[in-house]
Amino acid sequence: MTDRTQQLAVPARPAKSIIGTGKSMSLARLLLEGRAFFALLVIIAVFSLMSPHYFSGANFLTMASHVAIFGLPAIGMLLVILNGGIDLSVGSTLGLAGVCAGYMMQGINLEALGVVLYLPVWAVAILTLVVGALVGLVNGVLIAWCRVPAFVATLGSLYVARGIALLMTNGLTYNKLSGSETLGNTGFDWLGFNRIFNVPVGVLILGVTALVCGYLLSRTSFGRWLYASGGNERAAELSGVPVKHVKISVYVLSGICAAMAGLVLSSQLTSSGPTAGTTYELTAIAAVVIGGAALTGGRGNVRGTLLGAFVIGFLSDGLVIIGVSAYWQTVFTGAVIVLAVLLNTLQYGRSRR
Amino acid sequence: MYLNSKRFILAAATAALTSIATPTWANGLMTIIVNDPSNPYWLTEGQVAQKTAEKLGYTAKVSAHKGDTNTESQLIDTAITNKSKAIILDPANADGSVGSVKKAIAAHIPVFIINAELNQSGLAKAQLVSNNAQGAALGAQQWVQQLGEAGDYVELKGPPSDNNAATRANGFETVLSQYPDLKKTGTEVANWDRTQGYNKMQSLLQANPNVKGVISGNDEMALGAIAALKEAGKLKQVTVGGFDGSPDAVDAVKDGTLAYTVMQPVATFAAKAVEQADTFLKTGKTGASSEKQLFDCVLITKDNAAKIKLPFMLSD
Repeated sequence: MTDRTQQLAVPARPAKSIIGTGKSMSLARLLLEGRAFFALLVIIAVFSLMSPHYFSGANFLTMASHVAIFGLPAIGMLLVILNGGIDLSVGSTLGLAGVCAGYMMQGINLEALGVVLYLPVWAVAILTLVVGALVGLVNGVLIAWCRVPAFVATLGSLYVARGIALLMTNGLTYNKLSGSETLGNTGFDWLGFNRIFNVPVGVLILGVTALVCGYLLSRTSFGRWLYASGGNERAAELSGVPVKHVKISVYVLSGICAAMAGLVLSSQLTSSGPTAGTTYELTAIAAVVIGGAALTGGRGNVRGTLLGAFVIGFLSDGLVIIGVSAYWQTVFTGAVIVLAVLLNTLQYGRSRR
Repeated sequence: MYLNSKRFILAAATAALTSIATPTWANGLMTIIVNDPSNPYWLTEGQVAQKTAEKLGYTAKVSAHKGDTNTESQLIDTAITNKSKAIILDPANADGSVGSVKKAIAAHIPVFIINAELNQSGLAKAQLVSNNAQGAALGAQQWVQQLGEAGDYVELKGPPSDNNAATRANGFETVLSQYPDLKKTGTEVANWDRTQGYNKMQSLLQANPNVKGVISGNDEMALGAIAALKEAGKLKQVTVGGFDGSPDAVDAVKDGTLAYTVMQPVATFAAKAVEQADTFLKTGKTGASSEKQLFDCVLITKDNAAKIKLPFMLSD
């Protein structure tokens, strides 16, 4: 008997792209492959020429800490998009997480026992991440088991999460988040204001999360399953990939990333409001798309998403620094997204089966 | 070769841009941060402050946070990066904006608050706000005069995070609670926005078809309510009151659709804030007697509506 299994085990040829597998890389091909990186360089160059304040270490770190706020949900969004889904609730989860953290820092009033519970900051942080994971779990279960389309399910949780945050605060914000020595819960603003080796903690968290997710995607079986179920779900399922578990897990991870962003934001502002994070899901999707991921799933990596996030962040902040109207920012962000998707189709277009 | 020409065009474009880009600062940069310029109130606030700053020899940049504390924080970061000499700020949140103001002060940039209060004193060099309590009392008294002392009414409020919303609501309550036959049958938060005022008014009309009056925390919400009443055909029976004195509201007062509005002296205190900033930068003192300064509001009815020629300025 011929060794059919050996033949079947050979991985399929990589999809033909306009870049091809040839070794000759003309400048056009190089630019297309590394387009996010070159776009970033062009943006930095243009704005440095237009404003003397742009090109400085302090400014880059400031802009990076702005990027961290939507970069974290963008990494979670990448995982969801790789799976072929979409998560519209990350902005609301960010707001809800911030509000929950604020609520816990104020002291949880347990009327039945007659005590007010003040949790230490690390407990507040972990519980906030649990809240984000719960929202993600609800999303995942709806999408994987109840077969609700991802768009609809996460649209619903967008409204519900936002509504819960508004109900908890009644429209106001939680402001006394610095804690007090006597209660032992100081340190909440450590996330927002502290710098390790002069790098804001938010940026470090973004870096660590990116590294962890990158490792998850490229070196673990979970990553392989994710790419497989995103590329062709039916084939992956037949090959033994636990597609439903992977689906639920990515939404939980997306919820956790959004909750992390909510924590970083509330500690940067030392105040958590229920309207925080409105429309951040769209910025996260934009970052993923600019980074070269395909919205249908199965293609993309963390490096591209990070670059996409930095492109959006540096562009928006640059426009503010040179004093261009905020309305131009939205025009530019939209134009960059369309351009990015256009270049995506250019790069991957030929590979349509 | 094609790429070479593309690079050439890029280089030429950036060279051309730099020639029109960085202006020379005379006295320095003043950053003015307002709420949302789509509302004529905040638009005038930003424009007047910018004109005053430029007249005094500064370069002025106006930006908007639209009520979001994160955007406000990022705009303050930009003001610090741009090495502003002073920041004129209309805060997004009386408590939540304290962190951002502290950031600016830590970077040695004096902050001057206008229009909405900050719930911590000693941070900003000056807080210039309208006397919302006086304005609300003025408005409520005029409203009772035009409505009569009996009937059902509804109230439209601003966002709870803005102290002005609470101050005006309390001011209305203080006057209106003295008339036991005036019954408040509904109240909704419309966040200073015209569309939200329209939608909430429609819901309130469904719940209270016999409403006789609407008292609103600002003009935009009142104008939205008027549109809803017009659509329901009930405008003639309902007395609507606004607050701000925006040009659209003054036109509505002249037309008779809006009973009155209370004009906030935003043009006055926006200019004064910039002048006090200038005095502070030159002498180390603002010249004002206290940090919090209140500016009285003016009642605008059909009688004096014609006197408003420029936005928010009563020519007398």
